[in-house]
Amino acid sequence: MTNEAFETPNLLLALPEIWLLAMACVVLVVDLFSNDRDHGPAFWLTQVTLLGGIIITVSTQWGVDATTFSGTYVADSLGALLKIGILVLAFLGFAYSRDYMRDRGILKGEYYMLGLFAVLGMMVTVSAGNLLSLYLGVELMSLSLYALVAIDRDSSRASEAAMKYFVLGALASGMLLYGMSMLYGVTGTLDLGEITAAAAELDDRRFLFLFGLVFMMVGVAFKFGAVPFHMWVPDVYHGAPTPVTLMIATASKVAAVGLFLRLIGEGLLPLLESWQHMVVLLAVLSLLIGNTVALVQTNIKRMLAYSTFNHVGFILMGFVAGTPEGYAASVFYALTYAFTVAATFGVVLLLARKGFEADHITDLKGLNDRSPLFAFVVLILMISLTGIPGTVGFYAKWMVLKSVVEAGFVWLAVLAVIGAVVGAFYYLRLVRYCYFDKAEGEGPQPTGSGGFQAVLAANGLLVLVAGIFPGTLVAVCLAAFL
Amino acid sequence: MIEQLIFYVFALVLLFSATMVITVRNPVHAALFLVLAFFNSAVLWVMAGAEFLGIVLVLVYVGAVMVLFLFVVMMLDLNLSQLREGFMKHFYIGVPFAVVMAVQMLLVVGSGLFAPETLPEARMPIPEDVGNTALLGSVLYTVYVYPFELAAVILLVAIIAAIMLTLRRREGTRHQDPGKQVRVRKADRLRVVNIPSARRQSEQE
Amino acid sequence: MENLLLIIVLAPLAGAIIAGFFGGTIGRAGAHWVTSLSVALSCLLSFHVLLGLISGDRQPFDGTVYNWMVAGGIQFQVGFLVDRLTAMMMVVVTFVSLMVHIYTIGYMADEEHNWPKDSLAGVNAYQRFFSYIALFTFAMLMLVMSNNFLQLFFAWEAVGLVSYLLIGFWMNRPTAVFANLKAFLVNRVGDFGFLLGIGVVLLFYGSLNYSEVFATAAANPDLTMSIFGGAEWQVATVAGILLFIGAMGKSAQVPLHVWLPDSMEGPTPISALIHAATMVTAGIFMVARMSPIYELSAVALSFILVIGAITALFMGLVGLVQNDIKRVVAYSTLSQLGYMVVALGVSAYAAGVYHLMTHAFFKALLFLGAGSVIIAMHHKQDMREMGGLKKYMPVTYWTMLIGTLALIGFPAFSGYFSKDGIILAVAESQRAGATFAYLCVLAGVFVTALYSFRLLFLVFHGEGRMDRHTREHLHESPLVVTIPLILLAIPSVLIGLVTVMPMVLGDWFGDAIFVSQANDVLAAVAAKYDSAWGLVAHGFVSLPLYLAAAGFLTAWYLYVIRPDLPDQLRQRFALAYTILEKKYWFDELHLNVFAGIGRALGRFFWKVTDVGLIDGLLVNGTARTIGRVAAGLRRVQTGFLFHYAFVMIIGLLVMLTWFVFGAR
Repeated sequence: MTNEAFETPNLLLALPEIWLLAMACVVLVVDLFSNDRDHGPAFWLTQVTLLGGIIITVSTQWGVDATTFSGTYVADSLGALLKIGILVLAFLGFAYSRDYMRDRGILKGEYYMLGLFAVLGMMVTVSAGNLLSLYLGVELMSLSLYALVAIDRDSSRASEAAMKYFVLGALASGMLLYGMSMLYGVTGTLDLGEITAAAAELDDRRFLFLFGLVFMMVGVAFKFGAVPFHMWVPDVYHGAPTPVTLMIATASKVAAVGLFLRLIGEGLLPLLESWQHMVVLLAVLSLLIGNTVALVQTNIKRMLAYSTFNHVGFILMGFVAGTPEGYAASVFYALTYAFTVAATFGVVLLLARKGFEADHITDLKGLNDRSPLFAFVVLILMISLTGIPGTVGFYAKWMVLKSVVEAGFVWLAVLAVIGAVVGAFYYLRLVRYCYFDKAEGEGPQPTGSGGFQAVLAANGLLVLVAGIFPGTLVAVCLAAFL
Repeated sequence: MIEQLIFYVFALVLLFSATMVITVRNPVHAALFLVLAFFNSAVLWVMAGAEFLGIVLVLVYVGAVMVLFLFVVMMLDLNLSQLREGFMKHFYIGVPFAVVMAVQMLLVVGSGLFAPETLPEARMPIPEDVGNTALLGSVLYTVYVYPFELAAVILLVAIIAAIMLTLRRREGTRHQDPGKQVRVRKADRLRVVNIPSARRQSEQE
Repeated sequence: MENLLLIIVLAPLAGAIIAGFFGGTIGRAGAHWVTSLSVALSCLLSFHVLLGLISGDRQPFDGTVYNWMVAGGIQFQVGFLVDRLTAMMMVVVTFVSLMVHIYTIGYMADEEHNWPKDSLAGVNAYQRFFSYIALFTFAMLMLVMSNNFLQLFFAWEAVGLVSYLLIGFWMNRPTAVFANLKAFLVNRVGDFGFLLGIGVVLLFYGSLNYSEVFATAAANPDLTMSIFGGAEWQVATVAGILLFIGAMGKSAQVPLHVWLPDSMEGPTPISALIHAATMVTAGIFMVARMSPIYELSAVALSFILVIGAITALFMGLVGLVQNDIKRVVAYSTLSQLGYMVVALGVSAYAAGVYHLMTHAFFKALLFLGAGSVIIAMHHKQDMREMGGLKKYMPVTYWTMLIGTLALIGFPAFSGYFSKDGIILAVAESQRAGATFAYLCVLAGVFVTALYSFRLLFLVFHGEGRMDRHTREHLHESPLVVTIPLILLAIPSVLIGLVTVMPMVLGDWFGDAIFVSQANDVLAAVAAKYDSAWGLVAHGFVSLPLYLAAAGFLTAWYLYVIRPDLPDQLRQRFALAYTILEKKYWFDELHLNVFAGIGRALGRFFWKVTDVGLIDGLLVNGTARTIGRVAAGLRRVQTGFLFHYAFVMIIGLLVMLTWFVFGAR
């Protein structure tokens, strides 16, 4: 019994994933035998793994366009770009979280392993060439994240958040899978390339295709946290330990962009006319809900959760046009947004100390008196999130709006701009607290190791630099689609 | 003809038991109905030629998952009246949506597009002489080795997560240590004590 | 070449960053060493580039260094265009800047003691000062080396910013704060025109890159645009005038000149570097750089000519009645800028730029000399309290005398060649307004000599009028002050003799400056003289020298022989004196009329539209509405899992119904 369609897979093409998996297992074993209470070996090995992953991805996948594992794995520039983003974001997340997790007694070796597996799942997702590997990647990511949310077992809030995330996530996964099964039923193949070809020549089977498409769209929208599939976001952001929130808010959003692009953006591009309006609907609802509710939040994590919807709206808008420029705009937006938000969570983590979360917006009051550097970082981050010209957030918004206008949705662009203006209110409020208000009492001091502070400062300044010199990153994002 | 008859019988039983799963009051009964539903769907799969999946369904779901499920249900001692509270209230909101959804699914299935002649041919036609267990095996480890490995990783994550969430090391509790149990030697446990035998009463006296 | 240019530009920036951000760490000596060395490096390399271009070892460089972004098909780039014109500017900028750096070490040495009591500028002010001037050097180099309008505009604003910061360096002094605000606001007016000009260029020539714009402009000389209804205007005229309005702000031409005299509130090295030698000449440089556009429009050139002529004469007149030593030099700067603009107006770009160069040297010399006097006088600047300083400060005296001779155009001094070149060029020109300009520049020669020697006589000759305490402490300034004076005096004398033939009358600038055949007045001048000495010889038989001599004699008579006479004259010609004293009421015009109207409008908009409409209705109204909606939406976030799941199902059903069954 031999299978003639089978070729021996080229393992080198999938080296980033293989490296990550191997190293995750190494971390598993090393941590088991290490006596370090702070899980130092696991931490350093994890960071080395992520950095190594970046190097391997750049050197083996950028500029390549090939498939392996019988077409279930795609190595191309888009995947490489998203993977690099995910790896760097995970690196930042781990760098920021060590002190926080230790202070709360939840620094476990499993934190690093599950984190690595989540990253692996994201990487698998963004370079999937087959419905099966796509779905399994999403599941690997989600499962690891569910567990990470619940990592603080003694916190009832975290357990509740994990429970909600898990149940709703399972529901969304079910819908995603149902939609995929429809696709399989109609085309008879799991390969995304063949599905694209089949989608181009549909007649009355289009109806079945659309039926599956809606279910898949729901699954994808859930991963994005797009309205109305967003209800889990505030509770999970708020309930999960801040480092895990960071991971969900940043890296998993980048992975969701990859999921959308592989499955719908590129996989079902011939059906653009059909899904365009679905995306518009999701974007509009996200923009409306996100901005209005974020206004009345007093918890930074919750505020970021609601404002995420606003940004998700923008990312989705980039997809509307269905052009390489629009996709590049979305990728640019997602990456820059993720980096900015990562640094924002970093500041929250920096100010937190044992028994104190520093996630209330008034905790930032008078930050400039305590730490001018990080007050400046907050300033950069917030004006970038607002999208004030000269910051990277502005270029991201501008690119997205340009693609939307070119696609003929001027009203959508206008709505998004109004949303961004409303967003200015709650972002700049933080800046006001940092600079113009006096702290009540002492106010939380920046804590954390030198390495943490250095990485965070570098993260903030990179956001500034990317705002002044966006050309390179824009070019890279465009190159990923050409 | 006879094949169709068998199909409909099992399908009807499947639908009945599935309905019962969500309507019976007693969770133990619900679990048992679920077992019944699994059995019936296993039969349908075998009839469709997927004997491997049918067997796996029985072995894994019925044999392992449902048993575990029953254990949990029995251990939890659920308060039934509390669970059912508000059921009717939400029932009236839920029904319209359920109806809409059912209608839409009927429209899709009944559109005539799901007929074998409109759907594409299978990629790899099933040869007559090989069972599908062997066929599955041949693709699972070749063409689908990547998803297969991913599934393995997911199981690994599940194990790690389950252990992380449940394993607690409390000070002062007594655990069994199998390693110690195995390594134990006779000398550790057994001491031969030479006790002088009891003298006869008579001798005492 | 590219790396070399990058080093030239970035070295001062690096120096500025180090001195600015780490000033506390490296201390005062560290700050002045790091900035001076970085500028010295730039200066050396600039000389290297210039010599390379002259000898032909290097070719002019025009290239993009960094692609900033592409928007709507328009490239936004950072790039350099280095030809002989640029290289000359680079040398002037870095050389004067280096001199000023060295000089500042002496000028600022005793800052706490020297500065007015109420004007200490905060911690590490010394380092901050050096950081600013190095930053200025960077910005100015970016300006002259730019190869596109965007970078030009950025650098244009950057030099304006540094100028603003430095005028207000003594930030506790209300006059300094007023002066820097004034400089900033007046320059805004100019920049508005400048930006509009760039907009016109971009709109009609479709690019921001110099070479592309010039090529398009040359290909379509008669392109027109309509403004305000039907009137058709030549694009080159509109763009040229708008760009020149920017130059009027930066180069202080009437009526946007009012900020320059006030800018003397800043420290003297700044007056020398920014407000005499380099930044204020940016407008001249810009017009020369844009010569391919200006050559297309006689209207724009006439506009320039008339503005320049007015500035050249009437600002010189105001200089006659000033008593503050620095203000006299400032008005002299205004007048000389007017000369340069006149040269541009008659298409004698080379002469204008040449005067820019010589002026940079001798005016920096005069300012630094004035600064030296001010140091000796313990920061008193009123000439009525000076006099007889010659015997205390010989080096300062002789170098300032050289500067003055160069300024009035004494034959064979550098200023002679450049100024005479301009006068000759104006005489040859047939452009509308050229006759008026000719009269103005001739009269200007007399006025220049008069106020220059008035200054010299009042400060260095006659009786000492200072108080006893000051007199006892009078002494020559230290070496760091006098060495720059001497080093600047050398080019003030010699540079004209060496360079006038190729630069003004020859074809030294090559393709950097474009003059159409019909407008080439310098060629007409060149036809008459074949050597620099020929020009000198001509000087002795022509009118300007005698006018200058008349000015010298008048000054000598009024301020040395009969020091009582000026007061009598003042009383007799009270009206003329008042007009000059009040500087033609330009300040009042700006303050009361323009600023007044602006403030009134602002108040109106603030009261009615902002507070009433926007705040009341839009902002607060919207905020209230959104707040209510948000509170409602927040209630939807119940926390119940089945609610969440239900919302998802509803979302799914809506999408299914809408997109699948609705579309069918």
